[in-house]
Amino acid sequence: MKYLRNIGRVALLLVASVLLLAAPAVSAAAAAGGAVGQGTAGSGTAWIRLAHLSPNTPAVDVYLYSFGNPDAQMVLHHVGYGDVSPYLAVPDGDYSVAMRGAGASPTSPPVLSASIRVAAGSAYTALAVGPRSGLRIRVFRDDLSTPSGQALVRVVQASMKHAQVTVSWGGKVIASKLPFASVTSYQAVSPGAETVAVTAGGGDANTAVTLAAGSIHTLVVLDGAKGLEIDNLEDADGSSQLPAGGAQTGFGGTAPRGPGSPLPWLEVIAGGSVLAVGGGLGLRRSRRAARPERAPFAAA
Amino acid sequence: MTGRERWWAVIACAGVAAAIAGIGGLLLTRHGTPGLRPAAAAQVVAFPAPTAPIVAAPATAPPLPVAAPAALTIPEIGVRTRLITLGLTAQGTIQVPPTTSVAGWYTRSPRPGAVGPAIILGHIDSTQGPGVFFRLPELRPGDPIYVRRSDGSTVDFVVTAVQSYLKARFPTQAVYGPTPDAELRLITCGGAFDPATSHYLSNIVVYATESS
Repeated sequence: MKYLRNIGRVALLLVASVLLLAAPAVSAAAAAGGAVGQGTAGSGTAWIRLAHLSPNTPAVDVYLYSFGNPDAQMVLHHVGYGDVSPYLAVPDGDYSVAMRGAGASPTSPPVLSASIRVAAGSAYTALAVGPRSGLRIRVFRDDLSTPSGQALVRVVQASMKHAQVTVSWGGKVIASKLPFASVTSYQAVSPGAETVAVTAGGGDANTAVTLAAGSIHTLVVLDGAKGLEIDNLEDADGSSQLPAGGAQTGFGGTAPRGPGSPLPWLEVIAGGSVLAVGGGLGLRRSRRAARPERAPFAAA
Repeated sequence: MTGRERWWAVIACAGVAAAIAGIGGLLLTRHGTPGLRPAAAAQVVAFPAPTAPIVAAPATAPPLPVAAPAALTIPEIGVRTRLITLGLTAQGTIQVPPTTSVAGWYTRSPRPGAVGPAIILGHIDSTQGPGVFFRLPELRPGDPIYVRRSDGSTVDFVVTAVQSYLKARFPTQAVYGPTPDAELRLITCGGAFDPATSHYLSNIVVYATESS
């Protein structure tokens, strides 16, 4: 039973090793609280759309090139006055827009071109505006957020027959004496279904337009066959009421469980060590007490 | 060995045994039990880059109104659920479905297939086990999503991004704000679970666009 004397020492070794083990366990448990992934943007997508708003310019073919790539990303054939393309989703980066006469060779020099730098999550409109003699491409960054519960609207004046137009929506003037080939900034308006009225010297036009809460529109004033026309473009749409923050969509039934507390086990070890040390000491003491009585018998 | 010695020896042996058992237990606590769910969503992003020129006719006609959504299918992760309707809570957050086995569409967001981001919510789990959007974080860019509408028509979407956001820093505009095209947002919970509040700390958001 000699080995029993060493029980106390064994217990001390155990306690020391446990303390060494426990330190990383405790720190690991503390660190487990902090690791949560997080992202920033939805994706690297941007949007571009193109429009021909020059009244006396014949139809064109419109090409969109990614910078440095001779192959067109998008080709719109026979784009006439008043035509607006849908938005094309593209990776963010640098692009160029080129216009050639309708049916012209794709390798022929363009009559007009412009470069656009697009950022992820943003939308752009490239407008060919002005008279044929002064045709140019203007690029606008389109808004993609509305004030809570409101709609956004802007006006493009593309009527060459009228040097200036005044546009109102439901009685509220949203463009006053807007010159040909110019564009207003977006304005917030109360949502609803109202009449858009365009007044210009010698010609008026009216049309019913619904601007829903959370939607963004561009109204284009055009020269029509019978006077002024109004084209209502929906630039973007969202929720009529923007929700607040995220959602509580889980109850934790499948959540990973973090490392348990090491404390109860440390207590067991401490208790066991105390018992082992105490037992070992008690054993030694009772043996020493027994030795003098045994000695005479052993000698005899 | 006297009776007393035996007694002390038993105590000492019991102590050593307890200490060894304690060390075993301690080693076990150093490894948490993994959740049923796979690891958190990766920050994956893709965009629909055209591989060939898109030859499109200019379209100025206003889009036709689309019917309300009725059901959601995501083959990649085995989701097939009808869609209930969700409004707002008094706090201004989107209502969550009353059961964890069904997803819901926020009725003040655009209808799936109309311009703008349609918002659909589903639970990742109940207190007992997986919910309808349990495997949502497994989606990757390019995976298809189908929404069947009340008129029987179907609109197809393709995943463009899967993101994880701390609820405390939820990017409301990026997720819910207006977009120029028809999009979808699928939202569920993720990240660490806080037993004190019984809520997850993050939301997983799947971004998708109409693939037409």
